[in-house]
Amino acid sequence: MTEQAIFPEMGEEIVRAEGLRKTFTLSRKQQKIEKTGITRKTAVDGLSFSAYRGQIYGLLGPNGAGKTTTLRILSTLIRPDAGDAFVCGCSVLKEPQKVRDKIGFMTSELKLDGFFTPDYLFRFFGEMHGVDKDTIEKRKTELFSRFGIDKFAQVRVKDLSTGMKQKISLVVSIVHDPDVIIFDEPTNGLDVLTAKVVTDFLAELKNMGKSIILSTHIFSLVEKLCDRVSIIIDGKSVADGTLEDICAGDTLESKFFEIYKNVKGDEL
Amino acid sequence: MTLKDLIVRNCKLYFKDKGLFFSSLIAPIILFFLFVAFLGGVYKDSLLSVFEGVEIESRLVNGFAGGWLMSSLLAVSAVSIAFTANCVMVQDKMTDRYADFCVSPVKHYQLALGYYIATALVTLLVCSVALVVGYIYLAIVGWYLTFTDVVLTILDTVLLVLFGTSLSSIVCKFLKSQGGITAVEVIVSAAYGFLCGAYMPIASLADAIGKTLSFLPGTYGTSLLHEHFMGGAIDEICSGLAGGDVYAQRTREGFDCVISFFDNAVPEWACYLIISITVVLLIGLYILLVASPWKKRSKKVHSS
Repeated sequence: MTEQAIFPEMGEEIVRAEGLRKTFTLSRKQQKIEKTGITRKTAVDGLSFSAYRGQIYGLLGPNGAGKTTTLRILSTLIRPDAGDAFVCGCSVLKEPQKVRDKIGFMTSELKLDGFFTPDYLFRFFGEMHGVDKDTIEKRKTELFSRFGIDKFAQVRVKDLSTGMKQKISLVVSIVHDPDVIIFDEPTNGLDVLTAKVVTDFLAELKNMGKSIILSTHIFSLVEKLCDRVSIIIDGKSVADGTLEDICAGDTLESKFFEIYKNVKGDEL
Repeated sequence: MTLKDLIVRNCKLYFKDKGLFFSSLIAPIILFFLFVAFLGGVYKDSLLSVFEGVEIESRLVNGFAGGWLMSSLLAVSAVSIAFTANCVMVQDKMTDRYADFCVSPVKHYQLALGYYIATALVTLLVCSVALVVGYIYLAIVGWYLTFTDVVLTILDTVLLVLFGTSLSSIVCKFLKSQGGITAVEVIVSAAYGFLCGAYMPIASLADAIGKTLSFLPGTYGTSLLHEHFMGGAIDEICSGLAGGDVYAQRTREGFDCVISFFDNAVPEWACYLIISITVVLLIGLYILLVASPWKKRSKKVHSS
């Protein structure tokens, strides 16, 4: 709230993370994979940031930095060990149900039941989110038409192309018209065409006034989409602000590696 | 409304996924072919050897063997189908679809209840079809069931379905991989029939094994089905014999219509009590398992 007062041009604060901390127990198998003897891993270490209405906020960092864990905390899938986060003023710890009403959580992984049609899945998730039948139908017509799904509404998902499945997955995630969209690695593992579908979709959501929090390790995605970004290394935010603030005339990539070197020494 | 949608979705997934549907029928199909191949003949011969020298009409023998087949088939199906139907829950966890439900405003207990009720409904539906087919089959080969027997076979089936649903819900709660599902399916399909006395009468197994199996509640449910499907035929066979009651009791013990716990015959009411209490305890355990979602979810380690 203090930051909002200092920077009123940023608009209404929609997501606020305050000192988030999350530690996991590593199994023996995970210890082997990570070549470490430690049994506990701190995935998120006192992370704080704010995101504002109608903007895209990016969490940029290497694999294992704590981006997914942060997003899963924001979406109430896991509980932080310390700290709290607020979505539209609702605490993920104290009011998880209210938070779930306000968010749409997406990943680039396809999780649709292949046996069902887009029409059924849209209606099903609409009911899950407590949306009334008329609104579901209205939103279905609007979104299916906008993303070219209407022609395939009655085709089983398993018979559709990957790009179409991705579109359906995205559309289904926002069936309840959430204020905040949380997107974990939006273009990870996608081919160029499907990746474009996703990035265009995110830009369109932003134009519709939605607030978006995304995680990525792709510099070009941040440069293309994000209004503000936080660079996360080892669970900590080491830089936070607009691209201009962080880059100061440099490219995001070179700035990121400069910061990374400062934090981690010569480890690259 | 949400709970109904979840139940409908889970039921639809079971029937739409042909692999899931047919794999759930493996155990009953194995049993059916075993019966056609040799088990039917074995039971008929066993029955005739008990009543050596007594003229028993073939319709009575077929009714007895058919009763064994149907009771065993239902006992195995009630558990094996429940396990496979619950694979929907495991697949949701594996594919992270479960997370999509968790970030929606749906209550955690509604999700758990959705899987439980869908599994019970699917299992009950398939078992009901088997039950009707079984009645038709017995009417053709030899019908010796009273109206009470019919009502009790329905009650037994419902109890065993609830038992299978509760047991599988607990086991599947811990499964998170395809390997886990396959292992459980194989074990349940292959072993459960033996463990509950559906493939072979427990009375014909070694004493130590019989005593061990008498600790498993499923055997009491199977025994109830055996009694209600075969009891009428046994009584009919023994009705005209001198010392018929003794013969009937021995036949019942030999074919698991009456089951013993350390050489003490367990009465029918006690069998109902055991299976009912087990169902209640398993449901209670399942509720306890689903009551602390935060703790379980927080154990997962993420890649970034």
